[in-house]
Amino acid sequence: MKKRINFKNTVILFTLISLVSLVNKGVQVGKYYDSFYTDTMFDISYQFFFKTTEDNTSIKTFIPKNNDRQRISAYKYRGTIDMQQKAFANNIKAIWTTNTPNIHESLEYQFTFEGKEKIYSIPETFITYDSVTAENYLLETKNIQSDHPRITVIIDSLKKYATTDRQLMRGIYDIALAIPEAPIITLSDALTVLDQKYASCNGKTRLLIALSRNAGIPARMKGGLILEETSKRTSHSWAEVFINGNWIPFDALNDHFGYIPANYMELYEGDQALITHTKGMTLNYNYTINEKVNIPFLRLSASQFSDISPISLWELVDNKTISTHALTLLLMLPLGGLLVAFLRNVVGLQTFGVFLPVLIAFSLVETGYFTGILLFIFLILLVGLISRPFQRLGLLHTPKLVVSLTLMVLIMIFGSYIGLRYNMLWLTSLTLFPTIILTVSAERFSTLIVEDGFEKATGTLFQTLIAVTVCYTMLSSQYMSFVIILFPEILFVIIVIALLLGRYIGLRWTELLRFKPLLFSKNSAHVS
Amino acid sequence: MFHNLFNFKNPTGAIGLNKRNLTLIYPNNERQFYHLADDKIKTKETLHLHGIACAKTYSVITQIREIKHKWNDCKHYQALAIKPANGCGGDGIKIIKKDKSGQWKNGNTLFSEAMIFQHITAIISGMFSMGSTDSCLIEECIIPHPFFSEIYGDGVPDFRIITLKGKPLMGMLRMPTSKSDGKANLHQKGVGIGINMEQGTLTQVYDGKKYLHHHPDNPNIIVGKKIPFWEKMYQLAIDTANVFPLDFMGIDIVLDMHKGPQIMEVNVRPGLGIQLVNRCGLESVVNKHYPAYFQQIKHTISL
Repeated sequence: MKKRINFKNTVILFTLISLVSLVNKGVQVGKYYDSFYTDTMFDISYQFFFKTTEDNTSIKTFIPKNNDRQRISAYKYRGTIDMQQKAFANNIKAIWTTNTPNIHESLEYQFTFEGKEKIYSIPETFITYDSVTAENYLLETKNIQSDHPRITVIIDSLKKYATTDRQLMRGIYDIALAIPEAPIITLSDALTVLDQKYASCNGKTRLLIALSRNAGIPARMKGGLILEETSKRTSHSWAEVFINGNWIPFDALNDHFGYIPANYMELYEGDQALITHTKGMTLNYNYTINEKVNIPFLRLSASQFSDISPISLWELVDNKTISTHALTLLLMLPLGGLLVAFLRNVVGLQTFGVFLPVLIAFSLVETGYFTGILLFIFLILLVGLISRPFQRLGLLHTPKLVVSLTLMVLIMIFGSYIGLRYNMLWLTSLTLFPTIILTVSAERFSTLIVEDGFEKATGTLFQTLIAVTVCYTMLSSQYMSFVIILFPEILFVIIVIALLLGRYIGLRWTELLRFKPLLFSKNSAHVS
Repeated sequence: MFHNLFNFKNPTGAIGLNKRNLTLIYPNNERQFYHLADDKIKTKETLHLHGIACAKTYSVITQIREIKHKWNDCKHYQALAIKPANGCGGDGIKIIKKDKSGQWKNGNTLFSEAMIFQHITAIISGMFSMGSTDSCLIEECIIPHPFFSEIYGDGVPDFRIITLKGKPLMGMLRMPTSKSDGKANLHQKGVGIGINMEQGTLTQVYDGKKYLHHHPDNPNIIVGKKIPFWEKMYQLAIDTANVFPLDFMGIDIVLDMHKGPQIMEVNVRPGLGIQLVNRCGLESVVNKHYPAYFQQIKHTISL
């Protein structure tokens, strides 16, 4: 017999390697634990280029504040003119002033934004506020003509149908939402929007606020930037409505009802202009925004992290050497394999192959779970069904497979075509990767039908889907992917667990059922 | 390490797939010899070499161009079995017999020479071995012993005996039923009949769900029924186990009307349903024959 490598020593060795490395890193990383749990992270840079006037020249703009869903850090300012910060009501303004005439200046203000999305539940009944407690959030302004009879008419007709305050709010929101979107540069007030029948974000927001205030619900305008990997000049505005003690966001342009996405940076409250400057000066400006890879539970940048750990995968991701998606895929594959190994050897599920359930789960991450599962079952059954007549032709194995694969591709192309034609996005969600995985699965399924019959093959398909679901739950967890990028040592732990699993001689859970007559012999089936 | 994730009663020592693989197959069967059992042609070469009773091999066809002249050597026989060397689950096996006018028939349907050629071609092209090319085995046709028709008349029943290091551990008789389409496999609706190894008698019928005293298609009680040629069959299993370099095997034996017990094929990964058929776990049987077996195994593979 061949000399065996000592099993216990191998296990102990790998356990030690992984534990030492994990604990060492974990302790240091633990110091940077962050309870903010951000969803997104951006580096933002305000850039201003201008020529001063004959007299005093000043530029003012709003800069963001921290709140429960956004956090600003790493401020940096570059410019020859001093930057002052002043609070105006609830907002903060950055102010640059100089009296040097006719010079060209450029200034840059940088910071890091971390943001979370926030979903609000809207209660059915709203507390009513009188004009004193609501301050001026119920008052008419020049551009928000909330007391105008035309606004009152709309609210009156809405009130006829709305039985709850929430329905009334929905009605108000829907009116603003229904107005077609158009990029309008000139200022449009609430009434103009009604006349023009199209509006920008500002116009829609003003109309929404006018309607709310008329209905007695305090409302205000909110301004900010939608952050995305780009360089841009356009800002955004939305409404905030005061409902039972909370300011709740409503964006009638991008259709967010009581919801604020993670990449919305809040800059100011009120019907204001983002930038104000001295008349007659020439000004060019730009917002440069870079999306950063962030670890939601750590307040630590990629470079800081590499100081702690000499080999850092995070740096690869941060430098965009490899995409997070690709790296996660790679690192999660062993973890998924381990899960499948557990499901097969301990639970006793029968699945198509070992890594196929993991790969199917990856495809589902791309298509979405329910769409993916339905597509998966549908396509596999369809291909199984269509290729049946071909099976009966008594073809050789490989050419028969080619027929099945071709059919699969044809069905998918047809599906994508229908999807595009009738704007059903879920039908076009199948990219190359899921297509190949699906085809391989369909092939396994039809082979199994031939080998073991339809009933057993369906059973295996069902068990595969269970394994897929388990893998999907793990793979779709964002935290999981960050943890494994931070601590690739987990792969050693996987080896240890796999080694132990490789020596598991207990009955599989499904075998408990199979061998029931032997295991619980007292009440075993009686012989007839 | 950890043996059971749950503690439950296992009075007869039922063995699951994990334990079968780790403690019975891997330590006893080296992978390099698996092909001796997986490839029917190699199995038969080994059996013929040691003069162990098995169906006579008439011809082995490995290439399509050989079909015609090799068939010419076979066509004078009255009955033949055509098998794929690497088939599974009995797929691709055709039993053909000459009728009075000398026409080949498969069951009651005419099986012309052209159809025979086509079937052999299909076997060689790998239709029954999932992709890879295969060889075709043409051998003597077994005529089941009349003993079987006392239980159930159709199809070819066979015995399965599991051996460990040359000792038969457990056995069962697999029989087709009216629902199993001539097949004797348990999961294809055939039944398994337990065997008392010391006495060579049948114990009970297991149909996959419940235990019976009789074959589902025949009300005659089979309990205690003596198996003809049992001693011979037992010895045949021992002899077979000794000529293969495989120490844990499932040996399939058929009982021919004229020639008695014949080896049909051998398996390196015998199924575990035999425990259910005999209402007894393999662990307790192994312990009976080799009391220190599992301790030793646990030690060598450091479980």
